Amino acid sequence: MRWLHAEWTKLRTLPSTWWLLASTVLLTVAVGAAAASSLTSGVCPSPDACHEDTVKLSLTGVWLGQATCLVLGVLSMGSEYGTGTVRTTLSAMPLRWRLLAAKAAALALLTAATGTVAITAALWTARLVLPVRGPTLRATIGSVLVLTLVALLGLALATLLRDTAAGITLGLGLLYVVPLLADLLGSPLWRHRLHRWTPMPAALSIQATRNLNHLPIAPWPGLGVLAAYAAGLLLAGGVAFRLRDA
Amino acid sequence: MTTPTLTPYRSRLHPARAGFGRLLHAEWTKFRTVRAWPVVLGVAVVAVVLICRLGASGSSTSGGGPQTFGPGGERVVDLFRFAHRPLTGDGSITVRVTGLKSADSRSIEPWAKAGIIVKQNLQEGSAYAAVMATPAHGIRMQWNFTHDTAGSASDVATAPHWLRLTRRGEHLTGYESADGRTWSKIKDVRLPGLPRTVQVGLLAGTPAHNNVHRAFGGTSETYGGGLVTGTYDHLALKGTSTATAWKSTDVGGPVPNGPTPQDAQPGRTNVSPSGTYTLTGRGDIAPAEDGPDMVQMSFQGVFVGILFMVALGTLFVTGEYKRGLIRTTFTATPARLKVLAAKTTVIAAVTFAAGLLATAVGFSLAQSVLRHNGFTPPEFPDLSLLQNPALRAVVGSAALLSLVAVLALGVAAVLRNSAGTIAVVVALVILPQILSFAFPLPAAQWLLRVTPAAAFAIQQGVTRYPQVDHNCLPESGCYPLSPWHGFAVLAAYAVAALLLAAWRLRRRDA
Repeated sequence: MRWLHAEWTKLRTLPSTWWLLASTVLLTVAVGAAAASSLTSGVCPSPDACHEDTVKLSLTGVWLGQATCLVLGVLSMGSEYGTGTVRTTLSAMPLRWRLLAAKAAALALLTAATGTVAITAALWTARLVLPVRGPTLRATIGSVLVLTLVALLGLALATLLRDTAAGITLGLGLLYVVPLLADLLGSPLWRHRLHRWTPMPAALSIQATRNLNHLPIAPWPGLGVLAAYAAGLLLAGGVAFRLRDA
Repeated sequence: MTTPTLTPYRSRLHPARAGFGRLLHAEWTKFRTVRAWPVVLGVAVVAVVLICRLGASGSSTSGGGPQTFGPGGERVVDLFRFAHRPLTGDGSITVRVTGLKSADSRSIEPWAKAGIIVKQNLQEGSAYAAVMATPAHGIRMQWNFTHDTAGSASDVATAPHWLRLTRRGEHLTGYESADGRTWSKIKDVRLPGLPRTVQVGLLAGTPAHNNVHRAFGGTSETYGGGLVTGTYDHLALKGTSTATAWKSTDVGGPVPNGPTPQDAQPGRTNVSPSGTYTLTGRGDIAPAEDGPDMVQMSFQGVFVGILFMVALGTLFVTGEYKRGLIRTTFTATPARLKVLAAKTTVIAAVTFAAGLLATAVGFSLAQSVLRHNGFTPPEFPDLSLLQNPALRAVVGSAALLSLVAVLALGVAAVLRNSAGTIAVVVALVILPQILSFAFPLPAAQWLLRVTPAAAFAIQQGVTRYPQVDHNCLPESGCYPLSPWHGFAVLAAYAVAALLLAAWRLRRRDA
């Protein structure tokens, strides 16, 4: 408990944390609202005749909001390496696995709380612009979990690479570039595979509320793919953390 | 006895006036000797080449049936209803177009055509020159598929309009008139190799309707249908003709296996006793733009290269701030803007050189893979690396990588923080592309106009002609801006970042 408290204090007292969290909320809401208001009456004349998945559209902001969550996750470990604080930390709290667990817990709680605020606000804002219909509960909870898992992914990458710049670059590459390649790839087979097995397209299938049988991967297994990436990398990071000197 | 005084060593160079060459050398040494950076650059080159090649190996084509090629060798569409007579030697054709309207239940396409044409023969893809009325683009003179000149903005749906086409040797001149008495010239064009006997007559045609349905994660685009009726009177042919009657042909058609069943139906021609001609036809006379872009398909790796370039540009500045080296740098060279200029020059040159190597090799490998996968001439002509559009795309992609590094350097000098810089630049360059797949079309196209992602237009190899309506879908690799305009958007972002960086460097202590 004390370890968690220590990590919570570290996270809480950095101004960058609050900046990042504030921009997560802002970006998620702003992009969601922009996406929602870009719907013309031609595409969506009435809620019943709407071709677009309005729930998913109003949660588009998660695409951008996850970037700040990733940065937050990377910084929570990377900045310790950058400034050398990690050596002080490890002198005070020598149990590596417990330290990593405490860090992950503090980070997860904070991003989950912020994510809840961001997603709720995004849905509310979008509702002002367009009639959001459909079962929103899974999409809402799922999107919060996506943000949380992305932050943990960032933490794992920073632990593994011990460098902020490398962690963020690799993380953003995994989140953005791989799905982009998938979309531009000529081969439908590989496109399908990449959509199924890379963290972002798979995880964001949780936001879909219609045409569920056209998704490359079902909502919850899709989120599971991201969770598997985060857990796997966290495990690898933990092993490396345990075996290497700081 | 005097003690000899020793003057301490002083560099003869005034610190503030150190030559720019030395500064460049200093920055180059910094870049070269940080072990990770050249390694990252090397990894970037390998990654770009590999992914270009892999990306290409995922694409294949089985060849899309018979193709038509225009006089310039480009792929064309040449389908229309043609009421024609042969013309031997010089002569002219004059007609009054009294109407152009849709003959199916859909609204008329903006580039539907009714007018007069002089064509080499009745073969698809043969040379031609035509003067025509269109519903949304006024009177046009078009020839040999790729050329288009605007006449007046008259609309034949509201008032009839006179058109005339005169042949003298290889020269064809188009005229138009509102009343049939005062004529204005549209253009005089030369069709090299036009035979002595040509076919002249009336044309009617329309591009097919294009339906796009876009939703998250899937787009369907269907072409089909489209039928127009043009009405004409006061038809007059001057010159020597071996035939006395007008004969009607569907050039290039009817298409037995078209996208809609109506495509198999022949067009119709009606002549009333009072001399009114009514032609109903489908099809278009225009360059074909629906094929895959073989140039752009060869540059998938550039997206990955961007990540490395962002990291390099960022660390080249933030690395110094993190370790406090920036204070030493500014002590040695107090002129901050010179340092910024030297850093920019070095990073731009290094990333451009590496990028050029990567894109040239990647493009060549991708091309050979694509050839292997069925992208063969004549449908997909050979692209020489030293000729446009391949040259523009290869050099442009390298410049794109280089500009992204410069953008990152500028942002890094403003933010002085690796995490923030990398996140901001990646979000600016990569994210718009992803969002453009998800957003409704107008928002998606707007996004690809105003963000640095617009610069990817430099990789486009298909020429977009204004006389063809084209749905610019981001998921099929289309960017709304022309190659150089798109590139200028990224350049503007990079310049803005550098200016902001210069201002911040002078205003704020290191």
